[in-house]
Amino acid sequence: MMNAFPDPQPAPIDVRGLVYERRDERVFGPLDFTVEAGTIALVEGDNGSGKTTLLRVIAGLLRASAGEARVFGSAPGSDEARAGTASLGHLLGLKGDLTPRENLHLGMGLYGCKSGEDPDAMLCRVGLEGFGDEPVRTLSAGQKKRTALARLALLPARLWLLDEPYANLDRHGIALVNHLLALHAAAGGSALVTSHGAVSFHQGVACTIRLTP
Amino acid sequence: MAAAFRAMLQRDLLLAWRRRGDALLPVLYAVMVATLFPFALGPEHTLLARISGGVVLVTVLLSMLLSLDAVFRGDLEDGALEYLVLAPQPLALLVAARMLAYWLVTALPLIAVAPLLAYMLGLEGPAQPVLLLALLLATPLLALIGSVLTALTVGTRRSGMLLALMLLPLAVPIVIFAAGAVGAAQQGLPWVAPVAWLAAALALAVVLAPLACATALRIALDS
Repeated sequence: MMNAFPDPQPAPIDVRGLVYERRDERVFGPLDFTVEAGTIALVEGDNGSGKTTLLRVIAGLLRASAGEARVFGSAPGSDEARAGTASLGHLLGLKGDLTPRENLHLGMGLYGCKSGEDPDAMLCRVGLEGFGDEPVRTLSAGQKKRTALARLALLPARLWLLDEPYANLDRHGIALVNHLLALHAAAGGSALVTSHGAVSFHQGVACTIRLTP
Repeated sequence: MAAAFRAMLQRDLLLAWRRRGDALLPVLYAVMVATLFPFALGPEHTLLARISGGVVLVTVLLSMLLSLDAVFRGDLEDGALEYLVLAPQPLALLVAARMLAYWLVTALPLIAVAPLLAYMLGLEGPAQPVLLLALLLATPLLALIGSVLTALTVGTRRSGMLLALMLLPLAVPIVIFAAGAVGAAQQGLPWVAPVAWLAAALALAVVLAPLACATALRIALDS
């Protein structure tokens, strides 16, 4: 039977009683939270409190021990969930032998591209003008991060899962991340961002998820 | 989907081109191993000619084993593997592109040098093209079976040795059919049946191996 009142837009992230255990030892949970479209949620916690693990569960790389997570109304890692999600982890996934430009084109080939965006213009926006043709392995850690941010901003994903996006970045880089997040939220996108609390981040945070070890 | 396949293939071919010296190593290894046989067995022509097909096949197999271990290691170490798994594309398709690039970069140079090795060992006449045909079918089959095992062992320490121990038993039927075809051709016997078996196994592997490999990679990342 057809549902007479279908939910028009399932929330980007909806988590109910989510628990993750590694070898019978609880890493986090039970967690309950919802990330609505156009909002940014911050995951706070000390080192080892399970921030990265939470992001990997929501990305679909790890399987939750109990409870349920829904990404755009589907199970994490399903085709529908992956189609709307882009993530940025500790490992940036850039190929060191390719240039930033080639890495961006690869990302667009795999994930698609937001309409009206151009990789070269994006490299300028993240402050990598003139580095587009250097191999990524010769760039500094901060420049690599900026390349990964440029790739993220090009993708058409509506949900960003960002693991410590401020690591390795200077003051301008931190402002850049905040700027990209603000633009993303203004365009109706949402994000789940982890931070160990060293960087102050205020603008537009709709909810904060506090993890305790 | 075709765009993702092309992007992945282009990536791997470009990466191989940036490190083109590495592609020569398996070829040099194969040449050296094949050269050892006349030294070990003596230069008796009839003996070398009789075993030449098998020697070339085993040499190519071992050379491929050297680099098979690294198929997913680079992507695991720099995190690219996670971005491939999370991409909104069928992972099996991306794995298939990876394997095609691997075969083009590693196996094709070995196949190109194989006639030289066979000639050096005294393989002559109609058996030469049969050897090439057997290699063209056996090498992708090995790469596909090997990719599944590599995906299973990705992230484990000493995965190279483990991979060899797991792959070599599975390579036995491939070697039997391929060497059987070459041996039959050398004696003027019909050689189509073993080649057809190889082709059938390859057709099966092309469909099933990327699916199994994708599942194995997901399991490897879930820890």
